[in-house]
Amino acid sequence: MIDRLEEWLMAALLAFMTVLTFAQVVMRYVFNTGWVWSLEATTYSFGALVLIGMSYGVRTKSHIAADLFTRKMPKPLRRYVALLGISACLVYAVLMLYGSVVLVDRLMTLGNAARDIPAPKWLLTVSMPLGFALLTFRFVEGAWRLIRAGEGNTDDGRPHAIDEEAGGPEDKT
Amino acid sequence: MTALFLLAALFVLLFIGVPVAVSLGLASVLTMLIFGDQSLVSLSQKFFHTMQVYPLLAVPFFILAGTFMTTGGVARRMVAFANALVGHFRGGLAMAALLASAFFAAVSGSAPATVVAVGSVMIVGMVASGYARAFAAGVICNAGTLGILIPPSLVMVVYGAITESSIGKLFIAGILPGIILTLVMMITVTVIARKQDMPRQERASFKTVVNTFREALWGLLLVVIILGGIYAGIFTPTEAAGVSAVYAFFIAVFVYRDITIHDVPKILVEASKITVMLMFIVANAYMFAFLLTTEQIPQMASELIVGMGLPVWGFLLVLNLLLLITGNFMEPTSVVLILTPIIFPIAMQMGIDPTHLGVLMVVNMQMGLVTPPVGLNLFVTAGVAKLSLEDTIKASFPWLLVLLAVLMLITYVPWISLVIPNLLLN
Repeated sequence: MIDRLEEWLMAALLAFMTVLTFAQVVMRYVFNTGWVWSLEATTYSFGALVLIGMSYGVRTKSHIAADLFTRKMPKPLRRYVALLGISACLVYAVLMLYGSVVLVDRLMTLGNAARDIPAPKWLLTVSMPLGFALLTFRFVEGAWRLIRAGEGNTDDGRPHAIDEEAGGPEDKT
Repeated sequence: MTALFLLAALFVLLFIGVPVAVSLGLASVLTMLIFGDQSLVSLSQKFFHTMQVYPLLAVPFFILAGTFMTTGGVARRMVAFANALVGHFRGGLAMAALLASAFFAAVSGSAPATVVAVGSVMIVGMVASGYARAFAAGVICNAGTLGILIPPSLVMVVYGAITESSIGKLFIAGILPGIILTLVMMITVTVIARKQDMPRQERASFKTVVNTFREALWGLLLVVIILGGIYAGIFTPTEAAGVSAVYAFFIAVFVYRDITIHDVPKILVEASKITVMLMFIVANAYMFAFLLTTEQIPQMASELIVGMGLPVWGFLLVLNLLLLITGNFMEPTSVVLILTPIIFPIAMQMGIDPTHLGVLMVVNMQMGLVTPPVGLNLFVTAGVAKLSLEDTIKASFPWLLVLLAVLMLITYVPWISLVIPNLLLN
């Protein structure tokens, strides 16, 4: 359910950004006008797309990692290295979550409105703590799976965050 | 000390298999907490701000356009046209594969996507016509690197964004090097084909050439819209990307009708996924670059290098080697994001043109795409050609020499990169 929701949200945001940018060009040349809020709406949507997508990327194992060295390690060692890896991911997610919560809190205190959109700036930045909270959740899930795998579970014992081959899905620059 | 910690942390994290994006981010955050005088909030702000850098908005749009183009039968039509043009030469199918990759690179900004699009049509055909599977894989794997040289190019978008130089100019500068590389590879095929007596096909009739051209034209027009629009000042590169995404949708659904409107959500999800994967790296790399700058690491590196009194050619040589080595371990965008803040100021002091620097970095990154351990094209080709990774590496290796020769040419003859932009834009 939540999974589908993520996909729909991402698709909708990308479609919205594309149509808005295209419409802006058409408006300028055909109707000689434009919306002031258009660019800001596009960039905040872009931010939300990436931030919501981060945890989706963990779930679908699409983040690039170099597993060339870890794959060559003996099995027990590989498990410890994987645990170390997922801990690093967790530390990252929690620190960034903290940073973004403070950021939003500060924006609330300042109470500034966005440049062109009639909304407070903090509200448009809320996707950031949300995104990192989701990311933290996915990493905790990965770590939990890894720990359980050590207790004789059938799971192959690698968290999905660092399970991905360098090759991943087909499209990278 | 700070620089050392930052780099050491990055490499240890990459080494234990932490995703590239997280490695970049965590190395920056830790370094900042231990040595820096900035706060965690300012780093978070930098992260969020990345998605508000206007030129970077082109990234999701070019990816979306490319996804529409890959899913529709655009590649198939380009292959047919390329085949009609050069199929009758000895080794004709291999030459057609090269030419089709160059065409497809002109609608896609990504190298692995070019391999998938052309390779999935071409490799089966080449094997059926009597080419060795490994030879076909080697050709496709290397020709696919044209994806980041021939405009549009995601790597150039990122380079332009971080150095604040003109993306339009970079795109236009990539044209001639792209043509030269295609020609050099085609000549190589001719030489090999003569030696090994490879098959040729019947010469296509003029009518076939015209017909296949008409079919392929809708796809090829995309690059004309992008470059023409930017050059004529009708829109910014970001708007060009947005327009090309809508155009690609229109062509795939209404003109070619390879997909229906019901397939569009799936394509949007796929493009979002690729966008997020790339932008997650880019946003973290922006934090990394921010830390480099606040810790004044580029200045130190610059003083060190300039103080060594290297001549320009010597600096370029060191640069080639540095990019070659890092390109082996990271994908092109990350390398450009991490190294550009350090390299750029030095290069400017030495009087190197920013556009030339961008083009040579891209060509340098092309080699990284076909060398292990993190050569994305190798992984993708192995999948498309149904060949083991080891065999793909072996098959693609001889082509590295061709890439190397062209890299030298482009590095030391700035004229190749600059002649067209100077002619058009000044």
